[in-house]
Amino acid sequence: MTSSKTIVLRSSDGATFEVDEAVALHSLMIKHRIETGGADSTTIDVPEVTGNTLSKVIEYCKKHVEAPNSDDLKSFDTDFVKVDQAVLCHLAKASYYMNIKGLLDLSSKTIADMFKGKTVEQIRETFHIKNDFTPEEEEELRKENSWNLFV
Amino acid sequence: MQKLASYCGEGLFSSLGHHTEAYALPCKRSRINAPFVFNEEVFNKQKTTIEVLPDECLFEIFRRVDGNQERSSCASVSKRWLMLLSTIHKDEISQTSNQKSTIQDPGHLSRSLEGKKATDVRLAAIAVGTASRGGLGKLSIRGNNSTCGVTNFGLKAVAGGCSSLTGISLWNLSSVSDDGLVEIANECHNLEKLDLCKMSGISNKSLIAIADNCPNLTELSIESCPNIGDEGLQAIGQKCSNLKSVSLKNCPLLGDQGVASLLSSTSRSLTKLKLHGINISDVSVAVIGHYGLAITDLALTGLCKVTEKGFWVMGHGQGLQKLKLLTVNSCFGLTDVGVEAIGKGCPNLKQFSIHKCAFLSDNGFFSFAKSAVSLESLLLEECHRVTQCGIFSMLVNRDTKLKSLALKNCLGFKDLSFNGPSSRCNTLKTLSVNNCPGFGNGSLMLIGQLCPELQHVELTGLHGITDNGFTPLIESCEAGLVKVNISGCVNITDNTVCEITKLHGGTLEVLNLNGCRSVTDASMLSIASNCLLLNELDVSECAITDFGVSVLARAVQLNLNVLSLSGCRLVSDKCLMFLLKIGGSLVGLNIQNCHGISNSSVGQLVDRLWSCDILS
Repeated sequence: MTSSKTIVLRSSDGATFEVDEAVALHSLMIKHRIETGGADSTTIDVPEVTGNTLSKVIEYCKKHVEAPNSDDLKSFDTDFVKVDQAVLCHLAKASYYMNIKGLLDLSSKTIADMFKGKTVEQIRETFHIKNDFTPEEEEELRKENSWNLFV
Repeated sequence: MQKLASYCGEGLFSSLGHHTEAYALPCKRSRINAPFVFNEEVFNKQKTTIEVLPDECLFEIFRRVDGNQERSSCASVSKRWLMLLSTIHKDEISQTSNQKSTIQDPGHLSRSLEGKKATDVRLAAIAVGTASRGGLGKLSIRGNNSTCGVTNFGLKAVAGGCSSLTGISLWNLSSVSDDGLVEIANECHNLEKLDLCKMSGISNKSLIAIADNCPNLTELSIESCPNIGDEGLQAIGQKCSNLKSVSLKNCPLLGDQGVASLLSSTSRSLTKLKLHGINISDVSVAVIGHYGLAITDLALTGLCKVTEKGFWVMGHGQGLQKLKLLTVNSCFGLTDVGVEAIGKGCPNLKQFSIHKCAFLSDNGFFSFAKSAVSLESLLLEECHRVTQCGIFSMLVNRDTKLKSLALKNCLGFKDLSFNGPSSRCNTLKTLSVNNCPGFGNGSLMLIGQLCPELQHVELTGLHGITDNGFTPLIESCEAGLVKVNISGCVNITDNTVCEITKLHGGTLEVLNLNGCRSVTDASMLSIASNCLLLNELDVSECAITDFGVSVLARAVQLNLNVLSLSGCRLVSDKCLMFLLKIGGSLVGLNIQNCHGISNSSVGQLVDRLWSCDILS
């Protein structure tokens, strides 16, 4: 154990996590809070993130802060996002609010890649999205997309 | 080491991926009495995952969507996705191959939206879809009074996604205001053409933004925009040094300040200018005369405040040296003085059209004829003070180069008594006289003697013309008549047609005898025997019978493209086989109101002459 300071992060559902300051600073949002918070900033609220997600985020930060140049970082990242949709989306949201660029890139890109090769209907099914276009609008979109194949 | 103190479960851990199992202690976990979010929310969460993400997060995901196909597919998933995708600027897309160019290449694609189909959804789709297929070049949106599906949002989407835009045309979009157009100006620096019509939400603010950001603007057209004023025009004039064409119509706030300023700033580049129903006075017209150094086309319509003095100064300004085409319509200020000045001040004037200028008289033409020696085409419509004297002075001038003369509804024109002319006009090729009741045999005979080079003759609705009037024309014409249109000249008979075809059969291409009720099969015989090159024949409402059609069919040298027998009551089903024969070369056949031809015959014609457009 190093003698560095620890910070406590509190999630939206009240779960608390004690982490090294260095790890916590990986989140620019937390860094900003600490720098502007004053002396009494040992507990930081993260109301946009639930406990479950926060713990995963912390795991990510830990790995990237403690071993930033390790060879298995890439494979860590790849495995890290082998989770289902729900977790992935929560991770993306958390990394956005906590301003963790690496994780935001990783999670967003992973979701973006999930659209690859899928048709519109397949995307809707995979992500449970309701089609709110009118038939006329759908026709217009179809036309526009088919034009793009030839023009 | 992390402490997991008083951790409340989010539900059924085991189903949330293998990582969480490392943190989930066995069964005991689920017994902790902390707020326990149960089935329903879990169920919902599993169903509404990506949708619960706020816009900013979705934005971050969409930014990283690679590939046009994927982006287009995402755009079609739901309205929210479409709108978000359309707000992504081209340079916010993180692409693997970075080709960030600050100057966008001009786009090749064009899109046109009208009426009900003009919606923000469509614009968003266009913004997303055209981005990397060569880019959007031209966009035209025509709204209508009942629907306003296009708002600033749609325009902003286009601005963000289509920075390659070169031309935009917006008509009648009541929900669009400055915000949208300013955004377009901010992003589309390649804009060359701007066309606004009935855009009540657009004010000077938009024009100033365009002026600041679109230095390549070459064409500007503003019509019926009640809130665009002089300040906007001034800005455009000052900053757009490549402006070539300006058209301003029915904009109540535009006046001398804007127009004069625009003209003086764009003096070197402006070649086409059209001012219609604008509240300008002599000042602006004077500026045209002094600063219109590059103007070749000028059209002035309905300028009620411009007086005689204005046109005089315009002519004398010495600026309109390059003017080739001039149209003046409904401007009371154009009088003899002005026409004279124009004749002197525009040495390169080739085409002059004057409509409804009530105070113009013969005097203007007497002096105009002397000075305007470059003029090749003159059109006069409803200028009732001009008489035959003024017109003929244009023709008898020795130095005239006039090739085309057209008179429409000129009630002041009275028939001349024919006495042999002293000179000839060797340049006139085209003569067109429509509904000038005073134009009779005398005038026609005079023209016939005066102009041996006439090839295109159009005399419509002239009841005073009879066969006699044509004789000098037909006989003196040396060049050979090519197009003859005497529709509505009810007193013409077979004699004229026979003479024309006999003497000019070698050159005649178009013959229009619409409404010449005295023309019979005898004319058809003459046409068939003498015409070699005829490809358009109109004998509507003539006294043609089946025999006439048969004669035409037997003329092997004829290759008719267009034939009209509309209203020929004497034509019946018997001519069907002849029509079929002629039909081989026909692209257009008019048999409307031929009551003698039955529906089944029409049906046969339609079936067999499949490359011919048949009106029945």
